[in-house]
Amino acid sequence: MPLNKRILTGDVISNREVAEGHFLMAVKLPFAFETPLPGQFIMLRIKGKSEPFLGRPLSVYAFQRRREKVICEVLYRVVGKGTQQFSLLKFGSTVEVLGPLGRSFTIFPSEKDVILIAGGMGIAPMTYVAGHYRGSKAGSKMKMICYTGARSMDDLVALERMEVLCKTKVSTDDGSRGYHGMVTDLFKNDFPTLNIKKTVIYACGPRPMLKALAAILEDQPVICEVSLEERMACGVGVCLGCVTAIKDDRGNKQYKRVCKEGPVFNIKDIMWD
Amino acid sequence: MVHLRDIKTDVKIGSLTLRNPVMPASGTFGYGEEFAEYVDYNLLGAIVVKGLSLEPRAGNPPPRIIETASGMLNAIGMENIGVQAFIKDKLPFLRQFRCAVIANIYGETVEEYCKVAEVLSGAEGVHALEVNISCPNVEKGGVAFGTDPAMVHEVTGKVKSSTNLPVIVKLSPNVTDITGIAVSAQDAGADAISLINTMTGMSVDIISRTSNLANLTGGLSGPAIKPIALRMVWEVYNKVNIPVIGIGGITTPEDAVEFMIAGASAVQIGTANLINPLATMDVLEGILTYLEVQDIADLRDLVGSLKLERPEE
Ligand SMILES: Cc1cc2nc3c(=O)[nH]c(=O)nc-3n(C[C@H](O)[C@H](O)[C@H](O)COP(=O)(O)OP(=O)(O)OC[C@H]3O[C@@H](n4cnc5c(N)ncnc54)[C@H](O)[C@@H]3O)c2cc1C
Ligand SMILES: Cc1cc2nc3c(=O)[nH]c(=O)nc-3n(C[C@H](O)[C@H](O)[C@H](O)COP(=O)(O)O)c2cc1C
Ligand code: FES
Repeated sequence: MPLNKRILTGDVISNREVAEGHFLMAVKLPFAFETPLPGQFIMLRIKGKSEPFLGRPLSVYAFQRRREKVICEVLYRVVGKGTQQFSLLKFGSTVEVLGPLGRSFTIFPSEKDVILIAGGMGIAPMTYVAGHYRGSKAGSKMKMICYTGARSMDDLVALERMEVLCKTKVSTDDGSRGYHGMVTDLFKNDFPTLNIKKTVIYACGPRPMLKALAAILEDQPVICEVSLEERMACGVGVCLGCVTAIKDDRGNKQYKRVCKEGPVFNIKDIMWD
Repeated sequence: MVHLRDIKTDVKIGSLTLRNPVMPASGTFGYGEEFAEYVDYNLLGAIVVKGLSLEPRAGNPPPRIIETASGMLNAIGMENIGVQAFIKDKLPFLRQFRCAVIANIYGETVEEYCKVAEVLSGAEGVHALEVNISCPNVEKGGVAFGTDPAMVHEVTGKVKSSTNLPVIVKLSPNVTDITGIAVSAQDAGADAISLINTMTGMSVDIISRTSNLANLTGGLSGPAIKPIALRMVWEVYNKVNIPVIGIGGITTPEDAVEFMIAGASAVQIGTANLINPLATMDVLEGILTYLEVQDIADLRDLVGSLKLERPEE
């Protein structure tokens, strides 16, 4: 068994408010940090702090490997104590990073149309998926569309990056920009036009959004993988704190760890209530 | 001046000798697979695996955890793969390491505890049992056994006669007098006492006015419970003559040394693993450095060395 994993110390090299309450943080990490796969996350903690006590799971939004170091970017919304503390970090602050962690999205080598559906901060991992495809030979030519929704125009973050990567369709709950309504409804309108046998759908967002998507895709022969969120303590599979109900082969309920067997699951395997 | 490599750190628990006093606490290290790429298990005194019951248990519905000030509440509900699957699928992996394997066991009835103990006693590679009579997150068994001295006596005695492995009894802090419980366990033949398990607690979401845990209540762990654990270790150490294993909020080597001074022959590290997978290694290294710097040649000389008189200023 190789002993090659440990918690890494990183330096914050930027932490910028990109929209009200939304921050983009870039962390410089040692070269030993593995290249994250799309859909993987990190556990981020402020070094030396006992409050907040646990790390916080954040999806990888962007990643670059340079000569001596790597830079990992996360995009987050301030929702509570932990993310609030993150937002106060300055250039040069030290953070602890565990990762990359979790099961990634399945990446198809070619001949697929890619649909990305993001609700709120679900845009973060979706952007990394899009970037991953575009960075590969086959993926650079694939047909790819992103549907992204938020409460209102001000919460639509990271649009510019996504628009560079693929065609992007927008919805807002209040109608302040794009389609007025839920992102899943926006997608539903286009659904009949898809060549579903050739399509792969990736989605990340609040649970009700993913549940609505599951209803749209019920009985449809389409591949759809979604990334779930659950409170986490360890992020590595030892505490059993982050479980979610999944159907086993016989359709029985089984708890699976979001940090280990997930966060990416086949949408058909998730038990919604 | 004692040299690092000459320091004696072995710990005896019944017939078992641990190379050193540091081990993870049950439930914070899985069955040992997840951390194998982080921690060199050969360096640990022992590995304590997640609590095992006779049949697999699904555990409680989510949410199961919530952070609290300097700690967390958990209500996992003893989710585990069951003792048979543990022996078949997890134990072979653990056998490759030099460290002792301690199986934490749980039952809803005294009979179940005994049955689990029996099954594990026949398995190659299990070196001791830790009897969890202190889990607060299940309807039956667990803490129900750990709060009544007569029940503690019964469970301990019956498990003892179901196995030839050393038996460690793990106590709950959710009692008024921990020493009575500890003495009962000792009288019934326990080879060691480990304490503490988590303290029952609660956390409320003020917007939805619901508990932050689906199970309503959970067990508090982490630095928040350390002073309580330390006090209980001290109390129990003074009442029993079997080894005491200190558990509760240990995060740094200094924390571990405090427990040893208060009477712990060994320590378990729990919640700290969830923040830093290498917590056990960091604590072990720091203990050794402390012994060297303090010129203590045998760890046993540190155990229970608390001075009751304060030095004159
Ligand atoms: C795999 C994964 C990837 C994620 N990626 C992102 C991302 O890229 N950007 C982003 O903004 N957010 C992301 N989240 C959600 C993010 O982890 C939470 O918003 C954050 O933990 C909230 O912490 P807090 O202390 O600010 O909030 P509080 O509500 O004060 O947190 C209290 C506790 O609840 C947990 N918690 C609260 N909300 C969530 C949630 N939605 N999911 C998981 N745990 C939660 C916290 O970790 C903490 O233990 C992700 C969650 C998961 C599981
Ligand atoms: C997530 C979690 C799961 C636990 N599972 C078990 C268990 O299965 N059996 C057991 O005896 N104790 C269990 N415990 C209790 C710990 O082993 C330990 O006694 C307690 O957490 C106090 O130590 P700490 O503060 O270092 O975590 C668990 C604790 C946590 C946080
Ligand atoms: S967060 Fe600990 S098992 Fe997933």
